[in-house]
Amino acid sequence: MNPYHPHFEQRLMMTRRQLFGRSALGLGTAAMANLLGPSMASENAGPAGTGTHHHATAKRVIYLFMSGGPSHHDTWDYKPKMREMFGQDLPEHVRDGQRITGMTAGQKTLPVCPSKYRFTKQENNDSGVWVSELLPHTATVAKDLCVVHSTFTEAINHDPAITYIQTGSQIPGRPSLGAWLSYGLGSPNENLPGYVVMHAQSSFAEQSLFGRLWGSGFLPSDYQGVLMRSQGDPVLYLNNPAGVTRQDRRAQLDALVAINQAQHQRFADPEVLSRIKQHEMAYRMQMSVPELMDLSQESESTFALYGEEARKPGTFSACCLNARRLAERGVRNIQIFHRGWDAHGNLPKEHESQCKDVDQGCAALIKDLKQRGMLEDTLVVWGGEFGRTAYCQGRLTPENYGRDHHPRCFTVWMAGGGVKPGITYGKTDDYGYNIADADGNPILPQPTKDHWTPGTMHIHDLNATILHLLGIDHRRLTYRYQGRDFRLTDIHGRVMKELIA
Amino acid sequence: MSPSCFSLILAPATILATIPGFAADPIDFSREILPILSNKCFACHGPDAKKNELRLDSREAATADRDGVHAIHPQDPTESEILVRIHDREDPMPPADAEKQLTEVERLMLDRWVRQGGDYAKHWAFVPPVKSGKHDSIDGFISQALTQHSTGAGFAGEADRATLARRVAFTLTGLPPDPDQLAHFLADKSEDAYESLVDLLLSSPRYGEHQARYWLDAVRYGDTHGLHLDNRRGIYPYRDWVVRALNENLPLDTFITWQLAGDLLPAPTMAQQVATGFVRMNPTTSEGGVLPEEFQAKNNFDRTETLGTVFLGMTLTCARCHTHKYDPVEQTEYYQLLAFFNSTAEKPLDGNKYDYGPAMKAPGDQAAWTRWTSLEEDASALLKGIDGLGQSEDPWRDRLVKLADPDGPYKSHTAHAKAQALRKRIDEAEAAFTTTLIAKELETPRPTQVLMRGEYNLPTGERLTPDVPSVMGDLPADAPRNRVGLAQWLTSDEHPLVARVLINRVWQRVFGDGLVRTPEDFGAQGEQPTHPDLLDWLAVELQESGWDLKHMLRLMVTSTTFKQSSSRRRDLQDPENRLFGRGPSYRLDAEVLRDVALWASELLDPSMGGEGVKPYQPSGIWLAMAHPASNTKKYERDQGRKLYRRSLYVYWKRTSPHPMMTLFDAPSREASCVRRSRSSTSLQSLALFNETQRLEMARMLAQRLLRERTSDEERMDLLFTLLACRPPTEVEGRACGDLLQAMKRRYQNDDASAVALLSQGDAPRDTTLNPADHAAWAQVATTVLASDIALLLY
Repeated sequence: MNPYHPHFEQRLMMTRRQLFGRSALGLGTAAMANLLGPSMASENAGPAGTGTHHHATAKRVIYLFMSGGPSHHDTWDYKPKMREMFGQDLPEHVRDGQRITGMTAGQKTLPVCPSKYRFTKQENNDSGVWVSELLPHTATVAKDLCVVHSTFTEAINHDPAITYIQTGSQIPGRPSLGAWLSYGLGSPNENLPGYVVMHAQSSFAEQSLFGRLWGSGFLPSDYQGVLMRSQGDPVLYLNNPAGVTRQDRRAQLDALVAINQAQHQRFADPEVLSRIKQHEMAYRMQMSVPELMDLSQESESTFALYGEEARKPGTFSACCLNARRLAERGVRNIQIFHRGWDAHGNLPKEHESQCKDVDQGCAALIKDLKQRGMLEDTLVVWGGEFGRTAYCQGRLTPENYGRDHHPRCFTVWMAGGGVKPGITYGKTDDYGYNIADADGNPILPQPTKDHWTPGTMHIHDLNATILHLLGIDHRRLTYRYQGRDFRLTDIHGRVMKELIA
Repeated sequence: MSPSCFSLILAPATILATIPGFAADPIDFSREILPILSNKCFACHGPDAKKNELRLDSREAATADRDGVHAIHPQDPTESEILVRIHDREDPMPPADAEKQLTEVERLMLDRWVRQGGDYAKHWAFVPPVKSGKHDSIDGFISQALTQHSTGAGFAGEADRATLARRVAFTLTGLPPDPDQLAHFLADKSEDAYESLVDLLLSSPRYGEHQARYWLDAVRYGDTHGLHLDNRRGIYPYRDWVVRALNENLPLDTFITWQLAGDLLPAPTMAQQVATGFVRMNPTTSEGGVLPEEFQAKNNFDRTETLGTVFLGMTLTCARCHTHKYDPVEQTEYYQLLAFFNSTAEKPLDGNKYDYGPAMKAPGDQAAWTRWTSLEEDASALLKGIDGLGQSEDPWRDRLVKLADPDGPYKSHTAHAKAQALRKRIDEAEAAFTTTLIAKELETPRPTQVLMRGEYNLPTGERLTPDVPSVMGDLPADAPRNRVGLAQWLTSDEHPLVARVLINRVWQRVFGDGLVRTPEDFGAQGEQPTHPDLLDWLAVELQESGWDLKHMLRLMVTSTTFKQSSSRRRDLQDPENRLFGRGPSYRLDAEVLRDVALWASELLDPSMGGEGVKPYQPSGIWLAMAHPASNTKKYERDQGRKLYRRSLYVYWKRTSPHPMMTLFDAPSREASCVRRSRSSTSLQSLALFNETQRLEMARMLAQRLLRERTSDEERMDLLFTLLACRPPTEVEGRACGDLLQAMKRRYQNDDASAVALLSQGDAPRDTTLNPADHAAWAQVATTVLASDIALLLY
């Protein structure tokens, strides 16, 4: 049996766990140790937790993920010329033989399908941005948005596409963007999880979500996202069972700590001490999470801003309000998943409902962060896994239509956290089909390791940029698995300097 | 082991340079230099280097005359260009803007190597293992490394017998020893008492269940298709076959062969075919609009790369798109390996169907398998000696039907009536069979070509025949170019990797960490083995023993190395236990944590096999994520005994496994996992104290304590004996005693709270017990079950 010696303890604590544990400061020591390489850690490391790779303009990120693929045609990408082409076959030179999904590949025609919605030009800090009437609230924050019309991906179906944009690979098994971030950022909050995921309600919850979208893949599982739920316990197993009070739990924990300390006396295993800390954090979380979810102290003006919907747990607005509250409490990594954007048919009915779900919450979140002085260091991202086709899927009428998946261009916007406010970036051709250059000529970007096409933003570029704004170099945030130093952006990705203030 | 291995990790270069003899020590290329070249140079100068670019992956290339300059000078090493460039501040190598730079230590190592002549050797893992002859036991190798370590420490003392019994029972069966077993062992003073206990554990049916779980992680076993709708999939007979094969100690080479190629063996048995579920384990989809040819490619990638992880301990993923940067596997070789799988008969899309064929019918659980086996035996006994039926090559089933046919040639045979009765029983058994996916071979294989950049629609070059990566040896001369041949290659004694990779994972599950701590990577980028000679000795021993897993486990758990106390040692600075100078110690896996509590509360249902079971789960978890058309969108929990089956049998929905599994580091089984992380999080604490089944198990354990013992002291003794194999220490007894008294006082005047706490879960409560006492004990049981004496192996 080993007696307890503080100095001896100190040295024992220098285990892998310590080296790979989370840091409260800046770039997680976990990531730091790894990016230095196992044999370099002691040689090259500065003082523990010396921070990020470079100055971070964003301290936290709130990612509003529109799962299913919102139609850029009906929201952000105004194509007036398509109106003249209503119902005519999409000219062959536009598609140029590119692959389309099996759902429309068999259609006799691919009729041009203009949006039925009115667009108005909103003033921004550049030459203005066109916004559809489906997003009246978001239109009011146009001066804060950096709208990228030329985002693109290679994946054409949901499962691969959503896995691709959220993990950097179309095949499951890699860590999620969120897990990479929590690996890189660490968690400064002692009372709340470092990476929180919410699922917002939708009337059209088509398409599935997967644990892998916030999972840790081959990273240690500490880095997986924690689901904040709107039904039952907000965090799984948070509440004590009936018949057990907070005092009872304290008494249990006191006994548990005594048992564990005795275990530590016998075995001197530092893991035992770290587990005691986790039990104590859980006890604090049982207070801090309900406090977080309790909106009774929020003012009436908050609900005027987010809408009355924000009072209903699980709505997108409520999730946005929770996101702001999480951000205020030091949580740096927040994701809201909103499903139902996969409008193969009845797009108008579905997208009207979808936009209504998210529009006010998005705008409120930005205004609210701004009025609290938090927008400047909070990055907000809005987008889905791909866009939707210029041609109609199924029957086309002026009032009703559907659109298939379209990976070749779609719109993503960002706000705050060091991105240029009030600009648009990238263009698409007159059909919203191909990314186009300034003159409207189609560009077919073929990104390679060393080549980027100006005017385009591949999803790897988006992810590289998100990491960059948070102070992380996407090329250096790596984790050795199976002999390879994996990273979120694989061998790709370019920081979109053009979007950074 | 080279003494410099340890110091290198921590010692600054300046110190290294001053160590006498450092510069003169002969360098071991494979272990000391190749990792540096691979990690820092091969990205540009490796197997995948651009044309005309310098290559450093062979001596021939490195010494070549390039316009009068030699990277390594073959005659005069001091003239080598490498020596200049790695120290050159103006024009350094790697270039100043390279992502990976050399450390000072690495520069010194390269310097030494080049000055010593710059000799190359094959990467150690590609050279078949041999027994070095230095030692002939695990302890010999471990002890030598311990003594050679700077402090000259030997083994730690032996753990006390009770702790040892607990440790070995967990290691082999995933459960603590039975109280009777434990008492018997503690009382048994004979010399082979421990060996007898080990034999008992190895023959327990719980052994196969526990060992199977590691294999199921590696092969990514799940009960759903895994992609998009993530619908149900009929495959659990495969899981049950794995359990049975391990319990029967099927030699591992056979174990591998059946799984890869059971369908191609002559007259394959039902078991051999069920085993090919391995080939069908990749996640699949039928998302609307997906292109079949795209998923034909992706399914093949997945199977090829999983083969790499599970058997070769290598990632092959890089070679999907380009020749491997670090390890000598060419892109063409990747697609040749893939070709073995490109001829299986299933369609690329699963149709979202449970019986996504080819599928067969098989017994639905272990009891049904046992009945079926005895029916088969009855049939063959009956058929034996009957003219024209006994010796026939036809399947026994057909012969029995002939014998039982009332209009057939045997209708007046004396065995006819018996055959009819047997046939009836067989028909009944078959009617209860369930579906399981299996592999079958197409008559004409699909053509395989290299896919440019791994893009399914960019096939290029010639049509490839199935073959294996040449760096790992050739296909045996007479091996067919199909999955049988692939299995013959993997299980041949000359294969450099398979035995090492498998035995390393066995070591990892016994000792907590592998001898190679990157069990998924034995390539040039992986970690070096801490005890290379031991790893090789074990690999050869595995082959020589006839691939006998129980033999290997017995060797490990009866070693002095295993029996050491797991307390940290003040005389040995080795926080990660790389020297194995103390016993294993780690947090138990998710399944084990649940099983222990089921076992201690006597809720554990011992039935084996069958469809995945659904214990309690908070409502809405599946629904919140699932596609509306998915047939796994609603979690309908089971009732009755199925709530209490071993965790191995918990239903595995790959896009959303049970939270009590994932919270404690179980993988999703979407991809192969040969090493789980062991995290420690606050969410685990919440789960341990508040999850329905934990609370139910705790109150049933409390009930057991109250019924089986009469005094609180005896009850506390039993509680600790069940979970820690020993009575409580004074500190523990006091802490738990205080908690017990406080809880008794608290519930005495609050019957409603006591009953509420005792109403968690379905198991009926003994209402004759005083609710306050019962609730108080339940709280104590929850606490001890959540404490590290129950959570850890030590």
